[in-house]
Amino acid sequence: MKDLHALLILSFPVLGLFAGDHGLVTFIVGLVFINMLLASGLNLLYGFSGLIPFTFAGIAGISAYICANLVIRAGWAFWFALPIGCIAAAVVGLLLSFPAIRLRGFYFALSGLVIQSALTIAFVYFPAYTNGDTGITSIPKPVVAGMPVASPWFELLIGAAAAIGAGGVALLMRSRIGSTLIAIREDEDLCRALGIAVTANRCLAFFLASLMAGLGGAIYAHFVGFISPRGFDVLVSLNLWLMVAVGGRGTVTGPLLGALILTPLPYVFQQYSWLKDVIYGAAIIAVVIFLPGGLQSITFRKSA
Amino acid sequence: MTSQQPLFQATAISKRFGGLQALVDVDAAQRPDELLGLIGPNGSGKSTFVNIMSGTLKADRGEVWLQGQVISGMPQHEVARAGLSRTFQAIKIFRELSIMENVTAGLLGHGIGPAAALERAREALDRVGLVSDTTLKAGRLGLFDQRRLEFAMRLVARPKLLMLDEPVGGLNPEEIRAMIALITALRDQCGIFIIEHTMKVITSLADRVMVFVNGRKLIDDKPSVVLRDRAVIETYLGA
Repeated sequence: MKDLHALLILSFPVLGLFAGDHGLVTFIVGLVFINMLLASGLNLLYGFSGLIPFTFAGIAGISAYICANLVIRAGWAFWFALPIGCIAAAVVGLLLSFPAIRLRGFYFALSGLVIQSALTIAFVYFPAYTNGDTGITSIPKPVVAGMPVASPWFELLIGAAAAIGAGGVALLMRSRIGSTLIAIREDEDLCRALGIAVTANRCLAFFLASLMAGLGGAIYAHFVGFISPRGFDVLVSLNLWLMVAVGGRGTVTGPLLGALILTPLPYVFQQYSWLKDVIYGAAIIAVVIFLPGGLQSITFRKSA
Repeated sequence: MTSQQPLFQATAISKRFGGLQALVDVDAAQRPDELLGLIGPNGSGKSTFVNIMSGTLKADRGEVWLQGQVISGMPQHEVARAGLSRTFQAIKIFRELSIMENVTAGLLGHGIGPAAALERAREALDRVGLVSDTTLKAGRLGLFDQRRLEFAMRLVARPKLLMLDEPVGGLNPEEIRAMIALITALRDQCGIFIIEHTMKVITSLADRVMVFVNGRKLIDDKPSVVLRDRAVIETYLGA
């Protein structure tokens, strides 16, 4: 039943692709899918492992910059650059997790803020690879059979990636690893007493989530065609976190729902950008106080 | 060899916290067929001893063997995997997870997933006599049932030695009697080591009792002998 809900939410943006010759709508559909993928990855940490990773956007950025550089400078095909970017992001994510992984709750979140800030500064201060604040423009679309992937197909491809990501998380959470991560989230001292290797399992979660961040980051670069440090700063991490929190942490449908609702907001309120910030702020407060289970907890009540 | 090999052996365990010498050269051993008890006033080093045995703390000096295998220096989760399992003074369960999820979590660290663990989990629940709807959230159980659940979470992994830290804490007299009966019944499952700070429970359960005072072992003998010991009486009743 829950899988059906996830599938429904995943396929909903596809309707936007039938909106006709409307560039902005198809663009938003692509972004929704990318955010679904990223939020699902972040949920693996925040929802299922109990860690708030404010480094998430930075890790996605690493993959985006590596992938764009390999394609533009080295002339690689996107399809070969993509796995390299993902693996690099996963490894960096894993390494960055080492100093923080033993911290708990608030202190872990705080360490993530620091690391995220360092990553953002790094994106600015290595202009040879990132073009600094100006960013990298004209990143080409992936090529299939000698042709750049055209509009509705690229969005559908990203949708497939989001489905695979969300499905992968769902499968993982039904496995022994998933149960272990949930147990660690609930009480890590008790887990140690029961023979569970807490640190190793957390590192694994970080590796897998960073892999998803890398996938989302690289796709973002080649979908939007432009990346800059602002695209991967702490506000992006916070937005993704908010998607998970609003949708419902620790569920498969939650991040999909959160991404579906929050991604279009800045475009809907384009003329009133201050309103977007008000809505975001209100959403944070409302979720924390009234709806710790997120929207999915009212929309899709657990069937027994 | 097996009949002579102790279940656990700890030699010259010492631990200092800053200016406080918590344990001084403590030797201890438990035979496979006995139930060993540990008592002592607050701050006598009981909990420090269990924390060192279970790998929660590292001893400054001394070694611990579990059935001939050195376990001192291992991280806590490896000690648990080696077969030394402990409970905590305050009840520690996954309150938000179901009873069944709690018990199967006892096997996660042993490489067995929840689906494969169901049968063994039911067995462990039977053994501790917890007959309840296993889909219920564990936090909704009563205190005594939560204690029994803690036992089941450990027994499911078939430990060699189960160390219970004040298992009757917070229970009413009737529940204490039931707990004593339960622990007695578990003796054929694994070795049991009990910490208590009250005399009554330990004298009715243990075959042998160690008394710690100020980080040293004062006496180590049968309960009847310990109860008559002058130094123990002075410690407990005041000189």
